[in-house]
Amino acid sequence: MAAHTAEIGGHALDADALARVAAALTAIVGERHVLRRPSALRVYDSDGLPGYHRQPALAVLPGTRDELVAVVRALAAEGAPFVARGAGTGLSGGSLADGIVVVGLNRLNRIVSIDAENALAVVEPGVVNVTLTRAVAPYGLHYAPDPSSQSACTIGGNVAENAGGPHCLKYGVTLNHVAAVTVLLPSGEIVTLGDADGEDDGYDLLGAFVGSEGCFGIALDVTVRLARDPQAVRTLLADFADMDDAARAVSRIIAAGIVPAALEMMDGAAIRAVEASIYAAGYPTDAAAILLCELDGLAAGLDEDAARVAALCRAEGARDVAVASDAAQRARLWQGRKKAFGAMGRIAPHLVLQDAVVPRTRLPAVLARIAEIGASHGVRIGNVFHAGDGNLHPNISYDAHDADESARVHAAMSEVMQACIDAGGTITGEHGVGLDKRDYMDALFDAPSLAAMCRLRDVFDPERRANPGKVVPVHACREWHATPAVRRHAGAAS
Amino acid sequence: MTTAATAPETLPLFGAPRDEPETAALVREAASRGTRLRLVGGGTWAGGGRPVRADATLRLSALHGIVDYVPGDLTLTARAGTPLSEIARVTAAERQLLALDPFGDAAGTIGATVATASVGPLAHAFGGPRDNVLGLAFVTGTGDVVRAGGRVVKNVAGFDLVRLLTGAWGTLGALTEVSVRLRALPEVDATVAVALPSVRELDAWLARLRAASLAAWALELVNAPLATQLDAGDRALLLARLAGNASAVDAQRATLATLGDLRELPPDVWARLRGCEPADAIVARISARPSRLAALCAELFAPAARAFGLMAHASVTRGVVRFVLPGADGFGMPRASAPATDAPPVRRVLERAPAALWPMLAADWSAPRATDALSRRVRAAFDPHGLLNPGAMDAPDAGPAASS
Ligand SMILES: Cc1cc2nc3c(=O)[nH]c(=O)nc-3n(C[C@H](O)[C@H](O)[C@@H](O)COP(=O)(O)OP(=O)(O)OC[C@H]3O[C@@H](n4cnc5c(N)ncnc54)[C@H](O)[C@@H]3O)c2cc1C
Ligand SMILES: Cc1cc2nc3c(=O)[nH]c(=O)nc-3n(C[C@H](O)[C@H](O)[C@H](O)COP(=O)(O)OP(=O)(O)OC[C@H]3O[C@@H](n4cnc5c(N)ncnc54)[C@H](O)[C@@H]3O)c2cc1C
Repeated sequence: MAAHTAEIGGHALDADALARVAAALTAIVGERHVLRRPSALRVYDSDGLPGYHRQPALAVLPGTRDELVAVVRALAAEGAPFVARGAGTGLSGGSLADGIVVVGLNRLNRIVSIDAENALAVVEPGVVNVTLTRAVAPYGLHYAPDPSSQSACTIGGNVAENAGGPHCLKYGVTLNHVAAVTVLLPSGEIVTLGDADGEDDGYDLLGAFVGSEGCFGIALDVTVRLARDPQAVRTLLADFADMDDAARAVSRIIAAGIVPAALEMMDGAAIRAVEASIYAAGYPTDAAAILLCELDGLAAGLDEDAARVAALCRAEGARDVAVASDAAQRARLWQGRKKAFGAMGRIAPHLVLQDAVVPRTRLPAVLARIAEIGASHGVRIGNVFHAGDGNLHPNISYDAHDADESARVHAAMSEVMQACIDAGGTITGEHGVGLDKRDYMDALFDAPSLAAMCRLRDVFDPERRANPGKVVPVHACREWHATPAVRRHAGAAS
Repeated sequence: MTTAATAPETLPLFGAPRDEPETAALVREAASRGTRLRLVGGGTWAGGGRPVRADATLRLSALHGIVDYVPGDLTLTARAGTPLSEIARVTAAERQLLALDPFGDAAGTIGATVATASVGPLAHAFGGPRDNVLGLAFVTGTGDVVRAGGRVVKNVAGFDLVRLLTGAWGTLGALTEVSVRLRALPEVDATVAVALPSVRELDAWLARLRAASLAAWALELVNAPLATQLDAGDRALLLARLAGNASAVDAQRATLATLGDLRELPPDVWARLRGCEPADAIVARISARPSRLAALCAELFAPAARAFGLMAHASVTRGVVRFVLPGADGFGMPRASAPATDAPPVRRVLERAPAALWPMLAADWSAPRATDALSRRVRAAFDPHGLLNPGAMDAPDAGPAASS
């Protein structure tokens, strides 16, 4: 969470251009699906990142693939910058649009085809993550990447962020589950990246596109790989009186050669928030931390692995390890984890949720450092995270309207990010850089590396009209001022 | 003559840098002189004979050594010229492994494995380099040192240059350092062979295999000549590497036994498979959706293949058949004529051929490589003067123009 005032790109449309764009878009999608009134645009003025509000110039909501293509071509003709938007659950401010066009993709929500034999499905970008899993369940298949926001976020948004989720520890992130993407480049050209029909040679442009945060073009459709449902599942809950012990147990389990499907940690504050909410899962409210460990796969041998995990947790000081006895209990344990941020969000007006990764063995030290940083700024930093990956989600409940508190929260989070970098980690494992973390990029990458990222971006979007000003700090793109879109709209933002 | 690729052994040595700054300095020098460079790691593969047209060789094998290994994190960073065998030795001591087992010699380097995106049987469970590389450093064609990714297992900070450089055959940069994720070895790691049914029954058999509950690290079909080469009998086989605790592995054995005669094999069969290819050979692979695998195998696994000693193996889940044709003359090369228009799509890639045969074979066998507009722009963005491995990613049929 950088300063709330972070500038995005600064090349908004002028009034004339906007009027022309609005007319062109209306001709494509109809009056109803072009929003211009501030009241109608309010839904689009923020995403999951609290404290930031940006007013788009207009929002266009195409209903078919052809309409989307026509919309982007109309924007290209006008040289107009735009931001693609899925469900707006992003936590890094990626879909904020400052005086430019929002292209909303929610209406493109068809599951185009399911090839159960080859475990592939083709979906439009606005398909909600969990909808896909429900649709393929009858075939004994599921879509493995399961962000905690899966009941709302879209596959297009997942591809743009290379989203993760609890089950990514064993099954990998979005990239590992995408076979091909048809991309609508900002120029209006359509290209297919990757290949669902076989293994080709050539540059891995699909790999470059996944995680490009809406800066390389719009995913028109996505061919995803589906995963077979495991034969059996065991879900364990380990209860620790000391967070360090829980963190050490994480490394012990992985080092033992057991790869849990998920290994999640929640600290005491999160546990109590969940238990005080309608999502109460029966977590021990006096615990300093819990580990939620899921094992899945073959039925044979699973109980032995579960027993080993329990023994390793106990060896690291767990007070108790419980095993969910049936599917209902398992679902309840997961409900608490998946709704933890929702539950915490009710405690205070705002919840800032960060996303950083550290080497697993550094978890105890980094968690201790985070607590110290919180104390020194007078804020309480909570932790609910994908412990098996070392993917931290430090979070603070606060009131964004309180300037003093906001400033302290901001300062604390900056120090947390630096602590993670210092520990050999990174500033985002799944939520993306967006606007929020752009200013940390300099701490992570040197100038030539950032410039190389800019060059890659320019391959897809030489005019830098797709989600301008996100991800890589503007000053890192040496040739920035030479780009046509910037020249054309220079000064128009004032 | 237009097609003459320059053989690595005939090229003068431009340099053999010992560290990253030296590598960058050499590439800058080459750029200033317009010297086109053929990159060489361990030199065990030389790009399979790809038509690289270069003026000099840049040897990267002196970029050697493990930089950082934290067993508790299951991550390792090595200089690009470090042989896979060295990484295997160091990680084995901690009961861990790097799950990359490309074909060829273990003297092959981590840098080349990533640059070529070479994979072996373990890709069944762990994917290829793109799924195992966490970060890397490289020197672009203009001599800039770029660092991408990191050393932690999840990372989405910035645009993904790691994936871009993986499989780019050195044409976007010379890799200097690679960080990878490792896997812990399971309690039991067993290799078994199951006899395959006749080609006629293969389709139904594969469907049963795919539906079976297994947690295998590798599932590879092997044709009869290759089985012989591996000292595993003289019939086509399924090779399975079963991993897990004792109960899990026993259950998988029992499952596989319902599919055919099951035998235990020594674990070195995998190393033999990786090294099965004679010094003179033509290698290609065909892939399609996995449901088409039986059809793909029909020709390559048929008894007629034996006459030419054609060895073939196939990854059950990836739907890829790779075949090795001993001899450098191409005699007995399977026909790869264009399929009937209504046939499902098939992808073909030529992996290795004598340089002289590349133009002819590749036109038939290889899908066009980096020839689309985006790929050309990628190449221009990272190696604007076309100095690094020129030709390695060109379309096989692009002819002389491709080298300009
Ligand atoms: C007998 C044999 C069979 C093989 N079969 C196959 C196969 O069928 N398919 C396949 O994909 N691979 C195959 N390989 C290649 C092998 O799997 C790996 O790519 C690797 O082990 C080769 O290592 P090397 O260091 O000897 O590579 P080299 O022979 O030195 O180089 C191989 C390629 O990688 C490039 N390269 C090397 N180092 C770097 C670097 N640091 N940065 C950028 N580019 C670099 C080179 O320019 C060259 O194009 C085979 C290898 C052998 C020896
Ligand atoms: C309670 C909560 C829990 C969360 N848990 C997780 C978690 O466990 N793991 C995780 O990874 N994330 C998590 N997230 C973050 C968020 O859900 C993901 O980043 C998600 O992928 C965003 O999807 P979206 O559809 O909401 O995208 P949006 O927020 O609308 O957009 C995100 C970015 O994607 C771009 N974009 C959207 N659609 C497309 C498209 N079709 N083509 C190109 N670019 C596009 C946008 O321009 C923007 O830059 C969580 C969020 C919340 C609120």
